[in-house]
Amino acid sequence: MEIKTNTEGSTLTISVSGRVDTVTAPELEAGLKFGDATKVVIDLADVPYMSSAGLRLMLTAHKTMMAKGGTLQIAGVQPSVKEVFDITGFSDILNII
Amino acid sequence: MTFAANKFARFLPTATFAMAAEYLMGLSDSVICGQIIGEEGLSVINLMQPMFNVVSFVALLVGTGTSVLYAMEMGRFDRRRASELLTQGLWSALGFGLLLMGALALSRNAATAAFGVSGAVLAGAREYWVWFLPCAVLEPLSFYFSSMGYADGDGRVCAGAYIAQLLGNCALSIPLTMRYGYTGCAIGTTVGHLMALCVLLMHLRREENSMAFVRHFSLADTGRICACALGDASIRLCQAGLTLMLNLYIISRFGEGRLPVLAAVLVILGVSEAFDGVATAAQPLASVYIGEGNDRLTRRIMGLAARVSAAEGLVLTLLAVAFPQLVVSMVGITDPSLAEAARTAVRIVSLGLVGTAFVMLLNSYYTFRVREGLAVGVTALATFVLPVALAPAAGWLFGECGVWSALAASPYAAIGLVAVYVAFRCGRRAFPLFLDRARIRASRVYDLVLDTKAICDASATVGRFLGTRRGMDDRKSGLVSLLIEETLMLVKDRNAGRRTHAEISVDWSNGITVVIRDDGKLFDITDADSTASSLRSYLVANLMVAIPARRNMTTTGFNRNMFKL
Repeated sequence: MEIKTNTEGSTLTISVSGRVDTVTAPELEAGLKFGDATKVVIDLADVPYMSSAGLRLMLTAHKTMMAKGGTLQIAGVQPSVKEVFDITGFSDILNII
Repeated sequence: MTFAANKFARFLPTATFAMAAEYLMGLSDSVICGQIIGEEGLSVINLMQPMFNVVSFVALLVGTGTSVLYAMEMGRFDRRRASELLTQGLWSALGFGLLLMGALALSRNAATAAFGVSGAVLAGAREYWVWFLPCAVLEPLSFYFSSMGYADGDGRVCAGAYIAQLLGNCALSIPLTMRYGYTGCAIGTTVGHLMALCVLLMHLRREENSMAFVRHFSLADTGRICACALGDASIRLCQAGLTLMLNLYIISRFGEGRLPVLAAVLVILGVSEAFDGVATAAQPLASVYIGEGNDRLTRRIMGLAARVSAAEGLVLTLLAVAFPQLVVSMVGITDPSLAEAARTAVRIVSLGLVGTAFVMLLNSYYTFRVREGLAVGVTALATFVLPVALAPAAGWLFGECGVWSALAASPYAAIGLVAVYVAFRCGRRAFPLFLDRARIRASRVYDLVLDTKAICDASATVGRFLGTRRGMDDRKSGLVSLLIEETLMLVKDRNAGRRTHAEISVDWSNGITVVIRDDGKLFDITDADSTASSLRSYLVANLMVAIPARRNMTTTGFNRNMFKL
């Protein structure tokens, strides 16, 4: 798994590539540090697969940003990952663009 | 070790022990009467042999037939039909048992008179006959529950039943024979059967019991049960026929004085019963895989069984070749020239044991496949037709050793003839297992011991394979990947601290079918209404809603979940 971050003003973009499963999720969790950013974009364009371990991280990130009055957007979601969000109803909770 | 190998290895010791115990049960009354009453006692029990064979034949017919058809229907996820067959099997065991007991009771005087004996032996035979009658009901019932116990994955209760029967029989028969003669011996045998039945019934109260009786009665199902097991059960009749023919031939060709040599040979031929343990151990899984139509796993389990059969045959051959005197002493031959001839005979006949092991396995496999004709054919050829045809010819050419050589060669010749027949009728590649190669190519099997990394690796491997090698779209291959990771992680969580094996089969011959089996705690993972106690269980419950074509069935003591995508 590869995680790249890019900050532009108060917007933090985290680009993830690779499978997010139970084994790799802790690695992603360590990379989800938002600092002072008020807007976070998690780019999943290169994530072909995400299991419940990844969903949990997305939900935690969403709650963290909501708590500090910021926003979290999830971008570039592939159809296979979108299906997981749809099955669980997370599509209605998360801000998927 | 794979899931299938692990299950097979767990069944094998108890199944082999059960078959060995059955063999010893057959010998026990002869030994007890022989030792306590003397030669007259041995003669009486030997006269009873055809009656024992008929009762065993009926027991095998009902027990094996029901367990094979039951496991196959479970393999097809048709629990209702499996329960109907289970119920009809019980009616059949009870019905045949009662009919047999009635027939034996009515035919006692005529049958014993036909033995051509008189005096104390005739009186003894009639005495034993009366007290053995309840066994005509008890043996089919206990064999039925024993076979169903194996089919339901409970080898432990089955082994316990055989121990109870063997010990109960010996512990009671010895003092009772000393006090009451043949009556005591037969009572001991009957009580032994009753004890076995009581132990076997304990399976119905165990947590892992998945057998459920239903309101059902169908004589057509009884016919199906009997037809299915005809091959397996016919072994007993073939053995009885061969023994009779060999006795007559040896007496007429070499004289009555050579019968002790034949007795030693029969001990070796009788050992073949123990080979049935391999097939018994393979049967629960093999029948389920056949029912599922999973030829890849059928090939795997039968490959394992074939290797174990070969090893068993080889070990017994080496033992018989190295220590023939053990058999000679067992049958009580003391004359030096007879003993030498018997040792030679034991060595020669034992060379056929590997072939016999394969014949027994083929017979059982064709029974699992419901190819009754082939099952009967391979058995009849190896254990009756070829020995009866070849032995006199070989005896005429090469004397007594020729007879034994013909017995040793018969199983190999039978396998060769069946191979030629199958190749001629169904194509060269059909022998021996009748597997569909296209179906094997359209499936994959993954084995793992459940830990997080192994589960994620399997999930990734399956997803990658379906996506890149089978050209499946990312959405569908991702769903299969997700299904594997989430369900197996949930199984792993439920079995914390316990080594759990799992087997995943993926078949794309007709849509995508994923079957996940695990030997952890029994629970229904396909239940979409189960309480979600974690994000994972919530996701799994939602996955189940997204995959409507799904089934769960506890089979042979393990969880089995099937999903069609």
